[in-house]
Amino acid sequence: MTERHRLRSVLTLAYLNGIVPMRTQPLFLVSVLASPLSFLFFVTIASHGLYLKYAVTGGMLFTMLSIGTSLQTDLTHYRTDLKLQDMVVASPVEGPVYVTGLALSELLYSLPGLAVFAALWATGGPALGATGTYAWPVNLPNALTIGFTLVIVWGFASALGFTLATYFEDVREIFLFSSLISLGLTVFPPVYYPLSALPAWAQTIAYFSPTTYAAQLLHATTSAAATPVGSLAADWGVLIAFTVGLLFLAAAKARWREP
Amino acid sequence: MTEGVTKQYPKNVGRPPALDGVSLSIRPGGIYGLIGPNGAGKTTIIRICSTQLLPTAGTVTILGHDAIADPRSVRTRIAVIPQESRPLYFLNVDELVYLYLKMRGMDRAESRRRTNAVLEELGLVEERKRLVSRLSGGMRRRAMVAMVLASDAEVLFLDEPTTGLDPLARREVWGAIRRTIRDHRTVILTTHYLDEAEQLASRIALLDRGKVLLEGTADDLRARVRRPYRVTVDSRVPRTELERYGDVTDVDGGHLVFTRESDARELALKALGAGARVSMGPVSLEDVFLQVVGRPIDDGTTGEEAA
Ligand SMILES: Nc1ncnc2c1ncn2[C@@H]1O[C@H](COP(=O)(O)OP(=O)(O)O)[C@@H](O)[C@H]1O
Ligand SMILES: [Mg+2]
Repeated sequence: MTERHRLRSVLTLAYLNGIVPMRTQPLFLVSVLASPLSFLFFVTIASHGLYLKYAVTGGMLFTMLSIGTSLQTDLTHYRTDLKLQDMVVASPVEGPVYVTGLALSELLYSLPGLAVFAALWATGGPALGATGTYAWPVNLPNALTIGFTLVIVWGFASALGFTLATYFEDVREIFLFSSLISLGLTVFPPVYYPLSALPAWAQTIAYFSPTTYAAQLLHATTSAAATPVGSLAADWGVLIAFTVGLLFLAAAKARWREP
Repeated sequence: MTEGVTKQYPKNVGRPPALDGVSLSIRPGGIYGLIGPNGAGKTTIIRICSTQLLPTAGTVTILGHDAIADPRSVRTRIAVIPQESRPLYFLNVDELVYLYLKMRGMDRAESRRRTNAVLEELGLVEERKRLVSRLSGGMRRRAMVAMVLASDAEVLFLDEPTTGLDPLARREVWGAIRRTIRDHRTVILTTHYLDEAEQLASRIALLDRGKVLLEGTADDLRARVRRPYRVTVDSRVPRTELERYGDVTDVDGGHLVFTRESDARELALKALGAGARVSMGPVSLEDVFLQVVGRPIDDGTTGEEAA
């Protein structure tokens, strides 16, 4: 395959797994939004609006992370139940092309959900009833920071989903583990609330989760108090290192031809 | 195409290998049938030849390319329908074919042209906008055959394309497969329905417990057995009188005798003289299997269990 063929292949996979299912089952789009929005709702109510500024970007992060779970589910389902992966292996389509195409399809699928959070963010708070210290600045640098962070999280979540998919034989196992993983990646780490809301010992544990760093970067755009000055660069570094590490792990784990 | 291919699955060390020195030479063009009971190793050899699985030993050459060392060159020239595979249910028939072609890297115009042609050819035009999840089993398989048929692959591997279909649906799929023989394209098909192999394949290899037992045209296979004729007579003729003509097996309401051609004629005349009902003819591939392997192909046990 030449680069042009690869690109066509990636886009075709993204279209067939990301756009086509929207048409046949639009309700799925609502279900993509259900969890991240309900978290936002609870956190905002429980904090009397104080944490809304964290939860808005937290919802975006949550949505991106769930891409990993969807990718993992689809990869396993297509490999074990449909034997689609066997068809793809015995074709010109290479492994990285297949995985990238599907990861992109999950992103497309999440775009409507992300758009809802982006719209919430763009109101800057007042439209949601948040004023004064509850509101956040809406500007281009912040929008770019959010965009870049989410793209890295997409790569991170996809690499994680792919790596996990190589371990599971059965879609049912995934449902079991994905809830544990999303607990470890999204509920416990400070995605919907500031890191400072955790007791000191829990903050230490949270630093082992890459989502903490992504959340720090996102929260810094809506709350000046979210991040201690000077650690933003470190957050970028750690998040990117995690992602690159996982991508390497995914590449090393990839079993395209069975031994 | 394959030379001494042996496969010992890592999970099964200590047990007999799934393939034990399989050498097959398949000439390009036409349909080649791999037959054998469940567990014979058909899927294993298909997966090795189509670069999905590495063999433990042996070499595989597809259209002059080494499938083990250079899988990329092979992959651009092949397409496969894996055993028990199912199409992506949320696509319609048209998208299934068209998007498969585009995924393989074909451009839009060519994919469109080939999709239209194949749907026309396989009688799927009226179903093109139907979701594949709403199709009958036979129609769904036909749609999958359409995918690989429309591709530019020169070698197609179809692993049990008709298993689980009713006889009518099987025939539909046969029709679709028959249309794939053109442009020097090679189709390698596995089945445990021997009548299907005979209907479709110009050459056949009979596999059992990882070994090739017989190879050739259906007639070659028949000629290779010692008693190439089958005569059934009803129970009016006592079994003892039949035994000198050949191997006798009891069947419903009578006996089945495998015998040589001259003896078959003699036996038939004699039985007719005794007023018995008689039928005779060349052995079927099922009979060949029974004679060569010593058990019926569909006796419900796999090679593994019987071993
Ligand atoms: N993935 C696998 N791991 C371990 N053993 C396998 C695997 N696939 C097949 N086998 C074994 O290899 C033998 C041949 O199987 P297979 O090639 O599927 O036969 P067939 O397609 O003719 O039914 C069987 O004994 C089967 O149990
Ligand atoms: Mg099989």
